[in-house]
Amino acid sequence: MLLDIFDPKAPPKAIGIDLGTTHSVVAHVRDGRPIAIDTCDGGPLLPSVVHYGAHGEVIVGRAARAYAEREPERTIASVKRFMGRGAADAQTRELGTYKFAVPRSEEEAKLVRFDFGDRTRTAVEISAEILKSLKQSASDQLRAIGGAVITVPAYFDDAQRQATRDAARLAGIEVLRLLNEPTAAALAYGLEQSARGKFAIYDLGGGTFDITLLELDDGVFQVKSTGGDSALGGDDMDRLIAEKCLRAMGFEAPESAPKSVIGLVLGTAREAKHRLTESPELTLELPRRGGGELTLVLTRAEFDTLIAPLLERTGRAVRRALRDAKLEPSDLDGVILVGGATRVPRVRRYVAELFGREPLCDIDPDLVVAYGAALQADQLGKDGHDTLLLDVLPLSLGVETLGGAVDRILPRNTTIPVGAKSTFTTYADNQTGFELHVVQGERELAKDCRSLARFTLKGIPPLPAGQARLEVSLHVDENSLLRVHARELSTGIEQEVAVKPSYGLTDEQVEEMLSDALDHGEEDFERRRLAEAVVEGSRVLAATRKAILVDSDLLAEGELDTITQCITDLEQALEPGAKAHAPGRIQALTQLLDDRTHAFAGRRMDRAFKSALAGQDVAAIAKSVQHARGVDAHVEEHEKGAS
Amino acid sequence: MPNPFETLGLAPTFALDGAALEQRQRDLNRAVHPDRHAGKGSGERRHSLNRAMDINQAYRSLRDPASRAEALFELCGVHDVGERTIADPVLLGDMLDQRELLDEARRGKDLARLEALKRDMLERGRQIEAALAKAFEALLASSVAGQKPGAFGPELADAQRLFTELKYVRRFGEEVAAIEDEI
Repeated sequence: MLLDIFDPKAPPKAIGIDLGTTHSVVAHVRDGRPIAIDTCDGGPLLPSVVHYGAHGEVIVGRAARAYAEREPERTIASVKRFMGRGAADAQTRELGTYKFAVPRSEEEAKLVRFDFGDRTRTAVEISAEILKSLKQSASDQLRAIGGAVITVPAYFDDAQRQATRDAARLAGIEVLRLLNEPTAAALAYGLEQSARGKFAIYDLGGGTFDITLLELDDGVFQVKSTGGDSALGGDDMDRLIAEKCLRAMGFEAPESAPKSVIGLVLGTAREAKHRLTESPELTLELPRRGGGELTLVLTRAEFDTLIAPLLERTGRAVRRALRDAKLEPSDLDGVILVGGATRVPRVRRYVAELFGREPLCDIDPDLVVAYGAALQADQLGKDGHDTLLLDVLPLSLGVETLGGAVDRILPRNTTIPVGAKSTFTTYADNQTGFELHVVQGERELAKDCRSLARFTLKGIPPLPAGQARLEVSLHVDENSLLRVHARELSTGIEQEVAVKPSYGLTDEQVEEMLSDALDHGEEDFERRRLAEAVVEGSRVLAATRKAILVDSDLLAEGELDTITQCITDLEQALEPGAKAHAPGRIQALTQLLDDRTHAFAGRRMDRAFKSALAGQDVAAIAKSVQHARGVDAHVEEHEKGAS
Repeated sequence: MPNPFETLGLAPTFALDGAALEQRQRDLNRAVHPDRHAGKGSGERRHSLNRAMDINQAYRSLRDPASRAEALFELCGVHDVGERTIADPVLLGDMLDQRELLDEARRGKDLARLEALKRDMLERGRQIEAALAKAFEALLASSVAGQKPGAFGPELADAQRLFTELKYVRRFGEEVAAIEDEI
C-alpha cells in the first residue's frame, strides 16, 4: 500500500471499472492479482446513486442514497437503465421516483432527460458523476491513473455502449476498452483457477441480465453465444415487492403514489429482498394511506412466487443462447454466477435446475466483474501476455429496406471485430439521394428493432431506377461499437457516414457538455486537450521506437530517415516549455508520425500474421498474403528494393 | 474481397474440419487482434483492426456450410451462385410438404413433433453436406486457372442443385428456431 502511494516514479496505472446499476466498483492489479479500491463510502462498493443538491453540490454513493426519501426527484438511482434510451422508452413508465423532463423537440426526445427544476440532465451526465467519483478514489490510492477498461452488459446495444463511452469522456477517463461483464467475470475465474473447458456465465445484476457461453482454451476466451435482457434485474424484484406493499397500503395504482412514498417503499423492498436471503420470513412495518400503520408478513415462498416470471425470462434467454452455441447443458464444464441478484436463494436453485449442476460462486459476485476489468486493463498494452478475449456481437445489425423489413447484414453472435457489406439500389428514376436506416435487433420489421442511426447518401448520379448500386458496410470493432460506410459503386462516391444517432449524443454535444462542466471553461479545456495530446503523442513515440528496434529489416531505404525526423520533431514538441508544446501542434506531429509509419506498420502486421501461419501450407500463405488487406503498393516497392 | 480460404491460409475444401478452422481463427487473432496492439499508435491499431475484421469475416463465411459453398463456387469462377436457384419441382414440392408439417406442429404447440422434424432435417442436412463435399472435390479437381463455368461437366449442376437444397434445409432450421422461441 505504502509503495503505491509514495513511489513518485510509478507509471500511470490502468484501472478496471464495473459501472453497475446498483453498485459500481473500481479495481487495479498488483503483483498479478486484482484488488478492489475502497471508494468514498469506505468499502469497495459504491452505490450508483447521484444526488444533485439545490445549491449545485453533487453527492455520489451512500450519502446520496440518504436523500432518496427526502428529495426523490433530485436523487437518481439505477441510472444505467436509462443509458442510450429515448424519452418514450418503456423504462420511463416503470414504478420509480424519477421526474422526467417533457421533451420540447424531436431532438430532445432522443434521450431521456431528468428534470431537476432548474435544469435537466441526461443519463450520460449522471453516469459521468459516478465515474468521476471512482476515478478520484483510484487516483487517491494510485496517484497516476492511466486509461480504464469499463464493463458493460453483454446484451447492451450500440446506443447503450456509445452512451457509456460518452460518460467516460465527460468524466475525463480514457477508455481502453468496453468489456462485456460476463467475459470480464470469466477472465477473473479463468486466470484465478487456470480453468479450461466450456462455461456458462449467468449474470443477474441490479438492472441487467446476461447469459454468456464461452470456451476457454489455452488462454483464449472465445464467446460462443450471448443473450439476455438489458432491462431485467434485482431492481425488478424490488419493484415487485414495492408494488405489493403499495397495494397493501391502499394505493390501488402503485405508480400513482407520491414519489416520496415510492422512494420509501422501494428502499424497504430492497432491504426485504436482502433479509429474505437469510431468513424464511419477515414482517414489514408500513404506513397506511390516509394515516395509521400496517404490518405485512412476507415469506420467502411468497417472494419466490413473485419473482418466478422474472426467472422464467432468464430461462428463455439461456435456452436460446444454448441453441445458438449448439450446446447442451451437459456439454458444459461449469456455470459461474455473477451479479448481486444471484445471492437470492431461489435464483441459485433455479440456475442449478436449469443447467443440472451446482453453480460456482467462489469469487464475490459483486466484485468479480471489476476484477476481470482490472486484469484486462493490466494486460492491454503489455507485450507477451497470453490471454485473448474473443467476444461476439450481441444483437444482429441490419438496414431497413423498402417496405420496412430488415436486411440483416451481421447476425448476432458473430465474432468481433468484424465487417460486412450489403448492396442496395435506387427505387426511383433519377434518384440522387438514398436514405439509410441502421437498426439492431432480431425482429423482422425495422420498427420493432432498435433504431441506431439514419443518414442520407447524397450525390448519386441520376440513373434509371435500380441502376445505381449502393454498397453499405458495417464495421464493428472489438468494443461492439459500430461504424458505417456507404459507397456508390458506379461512381465510387464514398462517404464515411456522419451517423446521426437515433438515441444518443453527437460528438459536438459531448464536447459542449465537457467545456460547460469544467469550472474555468476555456482554460481547463485547453489544459485537458494538452494532457490528452501528450499521452497519445508519447504512446505513438514509444511504440514507433520499439517497432524500429524489433523490425528494422522491414524499413525501406530512406524510410528510417523520414521517420527519425518525425520522431525528433515530436520529441521536441513533447518537452514542456518548448515552443511547439501546444495541443494542436502535438496532435499534428503525432498524426504526421502515424502517417509516415503507416506502410511500415502494415508490413509489421503482415509479419505477425505470417508467423501465426508458420508451418502451414506454404503456397496458401503466399496467396493469402498477396490478397490480404493493408499490403499495399509500398510492400511491392519494398520487395523490389530488397531483392 | 479475397477468398476466405486464402485469408485464413486454408486449402479450399468443403469438408472443412470445424475444430481446425476455429484453431486457425484463434491463432491468427492472437497475432492481430486490436487488444494485442492496444498500446500502439493509431495507424498500427487501424491495421490490426482491419486484419482482425477480415479474419473474423472469413471465419464466419467458412463456418456456415452454405456460405462456405459460395466461397468454393467463387474459387471455381462461378459467381453470384446465391442468386441463381435451380428450379427443381420435386425438391420444391417436398419442401412445401415439410413446411406444412412444421406449421401443424406450430399450431398444435407440439414440441415432440417439432423435435422430430428438426432431427430429420438435421440428418438430411448432413447427407447433403456429405454429397456436396464429394461434388466440390470433383469440381476443384477439374477446375484449372481461368476456366469458364461453361467448361464444367455435370458435376457443376450437381453441386448447384445440392447447394439449393442446403439453403432450403437451412431456412427450415431457422424457422424451427423461430417457432421454438415462440412456444
